[in-house]
Amino acid sequence: MISAAPQLRAKLDVENLDIFYGGFQAIKKASMQVPEHRVTAFIGPSGCGKTTFLRALNRMHDLTPGARVEGKVLLDGVDIYDPAVDPVIMRQRIGMVFQRPNPFPKSIFENVVYGPKIHGEHNRARLMEICEKSLRNAALWDEAKDRLHRSALDLSGGQQQRLCIARVLAVEPDVVLMDEPASALDPIATSKIEDLIGELKQQYTVVIVTHSMQQAARISDVAAFFLLGELIEMGTTNQIFTKPRDQRTEDYITGRFG
Amino acid sequence: MAAKTLGSRIGSKAHYNSRRWLDNLATIALWGAAIAILLLLAFFIGYLVWVGASAVSWHFLTSPPSETSAGGGIGPEIFNSFYILFLTLAFILPIAVSAGIFMQEYARPGLFRNIVQFSAESLATVPSIVMGLFGLLVFVYIFHWKFSALGGALTLTILNLPALMRVTQEAMASVPDTYREASMGLGATKWQTIVRAVLPSAIPPLTTGLVLIAGRIFGETAALIYTAGVSVPTNNPYDVGLFHTAETLAVHLWYTHSESLVPDVDKVGNGSALVLLGMVLIFNVLARILGRFLSVRLTGKSQ
Repeated sequence: MISAAPQLRAKLDVENLDIFYGGFQAIKKASMQVPEHRVTAFIGPSGCGKTTFLRALNRMHDLTPGARVEGKVLLDGVDIYDPAVDPVIMRQRIGMVFQRPNPFPKSIFENVVYGPKIHGEHNRARLMEICEKSLRNAALWDEAKDRLHRSALDLSGGQQQRLCIARVLAVEPDVVLMDEPASALDPIATSKIEDLIGELKQQYTVVIVTHSMQQAARISDVAAFFLLGELIEMGTTNQIFTKPRDQRTEDYITGRFG
Repeated sequence: MAAKTLGSRIGSKAHYNSRRWLDNLATIALWGAAIAILLLLAFFIGYLVWVGASAVSWHFLTSPPSETSAGGGIGPEIFNSFYILFLTLAFILPIAVSAGIFMQEYARPGLFRNIVQFSAESLATVPSIVMGLFGLLVFVYIFHWKFSALGGALTLTILNLPALMRVTQEAMASVPDTYREASMGLGATKWQTIVRAVLPSAIPPLTTGLVLIAGRIFGETAALIYTAGVSVPTNNPYDVGLFHTAETLAVHLWYTHSESLVPDVDKVGNGSALVLLGMVLIFNVLARILGRFLSVRLTGKSQ
């Protein structure tokens, strides 16, 4: 068991996770604890399995034909792969922001309240409240407040990604998973997203996949290094970047491969 | 300043000339093909208007057809064309769209899906006259409905089912998976995802497919001759009942030219052809307005 910071409560507790695509094993016996109210970054070279691992944390592999997940992912002690757990309910607690901004071709307002509406909230005033709160939390309110009923596709890429974050926040999750949320954005939009992630950990537990070591160093408290489907090492970001325990981590951090 | 000629370091001049020439040729040939199609279409429509316009009058559009004397109209046929179209759409839309959604969103790749797909594609290649004879056997002989609007609509339903199912599949497939992921990621059920995130974006291609199929239904003859009949009720030509003969305009066009004894065959035929063309056009425009309206309502485009 790799545990980053034992004094922190583990929000997610992953035990012996194996992920297969058909006959190919993409993740091999990975175990980790994700601390509550911290930003945990997954780093590693392309194809190392970090995104595959992230997607297992809210059962996104259910949607992929041929994908199979074995092992346990405990959210506050409850295994999300338990047959008694409905993934539809579970995904309310564990939200996901994807690599490319993917707003629906609807208005900004309709995008933010998509989740609450699906869960049965139809009171217009209440939806408006949720919309404002979520957009404020995603640092988009000032830019969007005068155009709530305009198409979300008119927003810039960076604004769209913050809208996607607001959309996730609107269902009041505990955990926000982010799959390289800034990789399709320019440096200014990227720094806004990074600032936002720093704010989000006050209220949420954040897990982020990133291919940028600098980004991981800037925003994360805890880092996990993946290589060829294995979780090699996990520790505080400071420790991983300055005193890696594993030679392979050190090779990657210092840029000897990757 | 005099323009300098840029030279290439690799490739011979002759090779450059030949690929430049081929590029120009391709541009000209493709433009030519597009213009040829436009001209053909313009000529066709122009000719129809030229020969048909004089036949179209208020009397022609509203009167019942005549069996033996000149001066028959096409009023009931126009009515029946729309009546059978809407009957057919009422049957075909729920079935074909559901089947298409099932095939695209629910059926996993495998034997069952392949069998359904293969059956649908086989059904799509059956000639419409064979469908017409099938309808004759089932609806006219076995069910004893005689020639009926319902029998005709059901035959057209079977005839066009595979095409509309395919159109639905393609329309659903054209919606990016990122919408599905986003919706499921927010805790939506599969059905909520389909209805709220996928279908709204699938409406424009679905409308296009529907318009094409409606055009085929308007123009269909072989499948209707033996099922909906080649006449209209004489006592009540605009009968909305399901069990009366219901000759459509396209069938009437065929019938007057091949079977009927009226002396003004050409006049009736040319007029009918022009009106049929106009009807397809009107339906096309209406369907697109409706599709656009639905799409804006569901996706909230601002511009």
